[in-house]
Amino acid sequence: SGELYCSLPNPRNVHFESVNMKNVLHWSAPEGTGDGVLYKVKYSVYGVGKWIRKPECRNINRTWCDLSNETSDYEEQYYASVKAFLSGMCSDWMETTRFNPLTDTKIDPPTVSLSSTERSISIILTAPEMWRSPEGESLSLLQVYPGLQYNVSVLNKKTKKRWFFSISNNTLVVPSLEPGTAYCVSAQIHVTTPLLHSGFSKEYCTDTLKDKTA
Amino acid sequence: SVTEIRSGFNAIKANIQARDPIKTLSILSYPHSLHKFKSSDRCCITHHLFNFYVDKVFKHCKTEDSYVNRKISSIANSFLSVRRKLGQCHEQNQCMCGQESTEKLDQILVNYEGLNVTSAAIKSLGELDILLDWMEKS
Repeated sequence: SGELYCSLPNPRNVHFESVNMKNVLHWSAPEGTGDGVLYKVKYSVYGVGKWIRKPECRNINRTWCDLSNETSDYEEQYYASVKAFLSGMCSDWMETTRFNPLTDTKIDPPTVSLSSTERSISIILTAPEMWRSPEGESLSLLQVYPGLQYNVSVLNKKTKKRWFFSISNNTLVVPSLEPGTAYCVSAQIHVTTPLLHSGFSKEYCTDTLKDKTA
Repeated sequence: SVTEIRSGFNAIKANIQARDPIKTLSILSYPHSLHKFKSSDRCCITHHLFNFYVDKVFKHCKTEDSYVNRKISSIANSFLSVRRKLGQCHEQNQCMCGQESTEKLDQILVNYEGLNVTSAAIKSLGELDILLDWMEKS
């Protein structure tokens, strides 16, 4: 295939890093090679017979390549592969394991917005945006994962008492709270099938209004 | 349950898929993805695919790794219990197979028999997430 003699050490740890379906191929430089190593990348759809070159990642010196567009059909599975070049020598093609965007992506925590009355807090949760191509339609997490739920933690900063809620829709009203008190809320996305969950978000805090009658 | 199958599979997915060097052929997805099938055919396809795995696949999935073998037999047992439930649903609902589903199930068997039995079984096992993703999709 007109390839050069391939005795260069191989790229290492070739793998996909995926967050909210933004699927980026990463690797480490071959052992013992300094600067000047260039790479090229190809990918394939599992079960389909051909490897496809990624032109934007040809002769690059960085050690990552965004393949989100090429792996955006999350009903398919993929492989990707990297080859290194240096001073007329090349490495072997080094492949990832089989990548399943649906189960192998990580999900960011939701954002939390709060409003309060004297004795209640209203919580609105917003799931992270899924990656989409510039011309593609936006895709909500709920469309991809119908079994999506939110785990919500509510902490009374004064008494340190904490409640946990598990909800399917993205709004929650927590009643029977103490007026004039600080409450902090943190939330996590939990998908039951396939089993996936985000970390908990940072804490968002608000005070309930003071009791006017007191 | 299906969740047990999923977690059992996740534990050995990388190991099993690494034993399948044939990237250019899929047992379940060639030539068309399972996701192409109408929800009305789900009962029939699920029923027959569970039979396929229980009757044809698991018995040929022996490895030299006892941990992997234990996981495979636990997945197989979960399949048996889910299949029992599917059988009752199948009897009650008489979920008939449309022509497209029948052709798809026949194609899966052709894909399977196109490889030697051990390679076909390991490849099918490595594609369990394709089946689970399709089943769990609403």
